[in-house]
Amino acid sequence: MKRLLFAAATLSMAAFTGSASAQQTVRIATEGAYAPYNFINEAGQPAGFEIDLGNEICLRAELACEFVITAWDSMIPNLLAGNYDLIMAGMSITEERLQTIDFTDDYYPPDPAVFVIRTGTAFDFDALAGVRLGAQTATIQAGYLQDTLATGNTVVLFDTFEGAVNDLLAGNLDIVMIDGGFVAPIIEATGGALVLAGPEVTLGGGVGAGVRKEDTELRDTFTRIIAEMKADGSLNALIAEWFDDPMLF
Amino acid sequence: MPDWLANVVGPDATFWLAYLTNGAHQAFYASFGYTLAAAVFGGMFAILFGLGGAALRRSRFLPVRAVGAGYALIVRGVPDVLFLLFFPLAFEQAVEWVIAQGVCTPENAGTGAWPPCPDANIFFSTGGYLAIACVALGIVYGAFASSAIHGALDSVPKGQVDAARAFGMSERQIFWRIRIRQMWIFALPGLSNVWMLLVKATSLLSLLNIPDIVNWAGRLGAPNYFPRAGLVHPDWRWKYYLALVVFYLVLTWASERFFRWLKRKAGHGLIADDAVAA
Repeated sequence: MKRLLFAAATLSMAAFTGSASAQQTVRIATEGAYAPYNFINEAGQPAGFEIDLGNEICLRAELACEFVITAWDSMIPNLLAGNYDLIMAGMSITEERLQTIDFTDDYYPPDPAVFVIRTGTAFDFDALAGVRLGAQTATIQAGYLQDTLATGNTVVLFDTFEGAVNDLLAGNLDIVMIDGGFVAPIIEATGGALVLAGPEVTLGGGVGAGVRKEDTELRDTFTRIIAEMKADGSLNALIAEWFDDPMLF
Repeated sequence: MPDWLANVVGPDATFWLAYLTNGAHQAFYASFGYTLAAAVFGGMFAILFGLGGAALRRSRFLPVRAVGAGYALIVRGVPDVLFLLFFPLAFEQAVEWVIAQGVCTPENAGTGAWPPCPDANIFFSTGGYLAIACVALGIVYGAFASSAIHGALDSVPKGQVDAARAFGMSERQIFWRIRIRQMWIFALPGLSNVWMLLVKATSLLSLLNIPDIVNWAGRLGAPNYFPRAGLVHPDWRWKYYLALVVFYLVLTWASERFFRWLKRKAGHGLIADDAVAA
């Protein structure tokens, strides 16, 4: 009976899932909302630095890869559940994340996080008190704000970094903390409404691809090719192509 | 766009037409298919679960009746958002558990808490999640439909049943040929309400990571600061959400017209119109 149930379940599943047969394809999760790391282009396809890099790594490793768009806040749980094999979503390597997943070597150097405020406002960054701070949820910036500035201030977290920037523009927040890597186009696009302020804070150990701890083979393959691309200069070339103010290896 | 058309409408309209027909927008328009599919198939499942639920509630055996009543009571009392989050997860883990019984051994056990071993993991594609969402919608709104159908079965005029009995029909024949056949007319007002609720609930598909219209509207409306990702624009989400508001209004308005027509059509010649209205 158990066997019969199992066979029936497998059969019915095979009709609309890609279970065992799709194992050869490496599925890479990305957010599609973190330009220039990853975004949805005008053609409706995933594009950006990480998509180019992921495709190049897969080409060199002779792997068939596929990018999956998924929400940022449930990305690690879904990796652990096996819904995809890798995360390439501008995810910084941190001690906290290393407790649950593993990372390849970094493919983008540690990027200082910056503070953004509205033009015309000013804050004493050495003694912040009573201000409203914003960041994207489950990011290194969010972790930093909660660990160091939560007492005496209000920390508000958003599903996307745009949410934080929107609320800063609307005056609901005083300060937003984001990755330095893509702050320049935001400041430019808001036409002088926002400015950088305060110190730069270096957080995390660079951006790497997240893998399940047991997938050591996949991790080592990616790390080997990332090292290869660092050595032959192609990684720096790719970074320079995508970032306005690139951090190079 | 052909040159002649561009010349006719001018550069501004040409620009916006090109923007509104780029690949990302085409994907947005295509995603309306998910919503409509969820409504249609969710509706079919709701009818099936509704008939099943009503059948259970009319059973001669008390435990079976209790199951039918419990189904309607419990599912109707749970917010559809919660059920749509709960059911797919529970279903996926249940299937994984069943598979694990067959393939997992202590040797290949995984390191994570779930699934028991990597081989037992299943992955649902968007189509798979859509199918599960349709079933979940069917279960939720089937509970509402079962009440409408249960009541409608009792509304079939007693004279019709007596007449059928006088003709020598068996109870089974009476149920299928008289009660079920005429029940629809009395159930229609209730079922049309259920359909309206179900149509609105299709806006929850994005909860299951289905790239539906709500998901795309949020993506396309989100401010873009990066020129290579497309047109740089501020927060436009309200414009896209407004388009969805209009879409749902048109859909529910058309549904209402359809059900009004159907009610007239179905009641025609069977029973007096005022009996249907009552």
